[in-house]
Amino acid sequence: MTDNKNRCVVTGLGLISAIGSNVDECFKNAVDGVSGISKATTVDTTNCYANLAAEVKDDSLDEIPDSQKMDRCVKLCVKASGEALGDAGLNDFDDSNRLSVIMGSCVGGVSAAQHYYENEKPAEDVTKIPISAIANHVAKAYHAGGVVTNIANACAAGTISIAYACDLIRAGKADVVIAGGTDAFASLPFAGFLSLHALDENPCSPFNHCNGITLGEGAGAVIIESYEHAMKRKAKIYCEVLGSGISSDAYHITTPRPDGKGQMYSIRRSLENSGLDASEIDYVNAHGTGTAKNDDAEFLSLHTIFDSENEDLCVSSTKSMVGHCLGAAGAIEAVLSIKALTEGIIPPTIGYSEEDLTSLKERAGQIDFCPNNARKKEMTSVMSNSFAFGGNNASIIFSKKSGNVVEPKTNERIFITGVGIVSPLGNDKSEFVSRVNEGASLDKPSVQSEVGRKDFDECGLKMSFYRKLDRFSSLQAVSGMKALKDADLTVTQDNAFDIGIVVGTCDGPISTICSYQQDILNKGTAGGSAFKFPNTVYNAAGGYLSICSGIQGYNVTLTNGIQSGLASLAYAVNILRSGHAKAVLATGNDENSEIVTELYEKMGYFNEGFHLSDGSTTIVLESESQVNERGAFTYAQVLGYGMACEPTDFEHLPKSKEALVKAINFAFLDAKISATDIDAVIGFDDGLNKACDTERMALKDVFAKRADSLPLINIHDIVGEGRAATATLSAVYGALILSGEMGENVKTRNCGEIKADTLNTLLVISYGACGTYTAVILKGCDKK
Amino acid sequence: MNENEISEKIKEMLCQRLGIDPEELTDEIPLFVGGLELDSIDSLEIIAAIDEEFGVSMTGVGKEPFYNVKTLTAFVAEHLN
Repeated sequence: MTDNKNRCVVTGLGLISAIGSNVDECFKNAVDGVSGISKATTVDTTNCYANLAAEVKDDSLDEIPDSQKMDRCVKLCVKASGEALGDAGLNDFDDSNRLSVIMGSCVGGVSAAQHYYENEKPAEDVTKIPISAIANHVAKAYHAGGVVTNIANACAAGTISIAYACDLIRAGKADVVIAGGTDAFASLPFAGFLSLHALDENPCSPFNHCNGITLGEGAGAVIIESYEHAMKRKAKIYCEVLGSGISSDAYHITTPRPDGKGQMYSIRRSLENSGLDASEIDYVNAHGTGTAKNDDAEFLSLHTIFDSENEDLCVSSTKSMVGHCLGAAGAIEAVLSIKALTEGIIPPTIGYSEEDLTSLKERAGQIDFCPNNARKKEMTSVMSNSFAFGGNNASIIFSKKSGNVVEPKTNERIFITGVGIVSPLGNDKSEFVSRVNEGASLDKPSVQSEVGRKDFDECGLKMSFYRKLDRFSSLQAVSGMKALKDADLTVTQDNAFDIGIVVGTCDGPISTICSYQQDILNKGTAGGSAFKFPNTVYNAAGGYLSICSGIQGYNVTLTNGIQSGLASLAYAVNILRSGHAKAVLATGNDENSEIVTELYEKMGYFNEGFHLSDGSTTIVLESESQVNERGAFTYAQVLGYGMACEPTDFEHLPKSKEALVKAINFAFLDAKISATDIDAVIGFDDGLNKACDTERMALKDVFAKRADSLPLINIHDIVGEGRAATATLSAVYGALILSGEMGENVKTRNCGEIKADTLNTLLVISYGACGTYTAVILKGCDKK
Repeated sequence: MNENEISEKIKEMLCQRLGIDPEELTDEIPLFVGGLELDSIDSLEIIAAIDEEFGVSMTGVGKEPFYNVKTLTAFVAEHLN
């Protein structure tokens, strides 16, 4: 039995899709086999071989407060989240720091990017484009102040966000999480899938004709709550969320592995983590996109895992009705799966003719793919699967029983064992050290790291691989491979699934996204590039890193502002403590280009002493047992982390100071230390007055009289604001100081040069422009 | 446009649109298996590029013309205008 403190329950559901504006309407239509697919109305399909979509028809989206500041994907998400919170009876939640928001998305605000280029570049579009905006708007709308972030793993994002929500609750970091996903139908994904010839001319037909997908749109939200919290407030409980499994194919950026190995690993892992056998799953809501490659691999995975163990399995693809909603898919399907479980009726896979039913029999074997008609069935446990671009696989199990969920190891010590740096100072650790000690400084307001052939050769990357990478993915591939080498960690068949990747990014591959949007504007929707499209997804960098390194374990890309580069470290700590991996590469990755510089100019960043830069930093984190087993070198120990949010506009960032104070205090709590143990702070002031003021005021609150004399270290003067890359680099800088690699002396902003060996415990902080903060505590290792 | 010009244009296009290193792109090297290891996404990009640059449709054409720059050039030359 799962211990009560590790039980996560579902207490509220919210849904909007092409077949309804709320959960009941969507579920009724899904059960009745109503298709939401029709001719697309919001994207110009001139000269396109396909023209269908499953669009949301809801006139109330613009009634949402602040809707003029939101992309359509945010409006959908705020609406579904509101329904879920209302359903859970949580309208008057009174401890905002215990309420978190984790939202998944694939393309985020690309409609705003389209509007930007079609309408002479209005500045107000810029903040609507990044995926970061989604969770922040939801947090602001419903006063969430805990961990607020977005999962950007393309079509698996919605499922991974629910999995992460549960891990946060089990780690004691939250009581309630609004988890889910959202994506709006837009020209970029339509043009992209069209260019790949992955769109079906007819309504998609999963596990049937398999001629391609039909894009949909929508949002799903699930209120995940700790069992104890739900019991205390006597909440209505739908079901439990048991274990999840997340893996990476390490195969191809768009094509799933034909042997289904990655999919099967995530399915098996979710069963193991739940303490269930394959025989105990009553229904699988399949990924079932309707492309031949996905459906072939999925048929194989389902048959391999379930055929000999389960004689009474139902499987269906609700995408046949709601379309493929990308980053929302996993969340929408979670809601439909939970409704199926609790109502005892399974929505069908629609679209089979009499002839189709005959051929289905051959491929389905004993599995019931619920063709055309819903199935009534008493169920105990159901599984939802999502398989995404980048080779990301995610499975999760919902159940009426509490299962036997693997207990997190909160006491496991975690160490930094390797670092990879790509920065404007060079792409080598020793180069970074010497340039910093020489007193390098920035000569331009907008700078770039240099990454190219020499780096690829050094990392053993072949032209057939690196030619596919855009700048965003190139930066990540190089820093990731360098970090593995630095850690002396070799990826083998035996450990590939035990190693994970957590990419943190502020803006994702924004140059490729914007240039794709401009191509569509110039050439029409039918003129999208098949080659470029895979690089428009945020998790492309993590996907390519898994391909070139061979890493097949946990793989996630998170995004919420600059602090994503420290949030990735925190997420990685959570993965290690949850036992999902033995080693994790935590990264910060952001690119600069003419496009990016223009966007930051539009937001008015260069008016102050701000230097925009880019780069990639990767940290290898390993659990103590793995460190001992490998005899690995340790730079520093990650003692703990804290996160908090007080959603605000960037203009008013200092108002969110209290959230930074809380993030720091939560980190002390997690690390089991107090403010007096901190020897120095590595700060985030990047020249912007608002950031500087917030940092100064919060440190004054936390350290009181010590604030002025406590050494304050900062690398932004040297490398610029490389966003997530600099946030992670701040932690690496701390680790290099603690391990003695920076040399004897460390420059500070307020105490001149100090001796590195007087420092043993460091606080590293970072911020997101919308009032989200992460704090990490690093401790030096005993020198032997 | 003579075959030389077509070939140069195709090479330029392959390097620019598919990120191929110009030094490795000869007329003879196989573009796919056993050569530059291009994949199905690249073939879609090549079809779109040939259409855009030369107005020649390669949709539904067999594998042979995609073998290398030489065969692509021959196909384009044959179907131009």
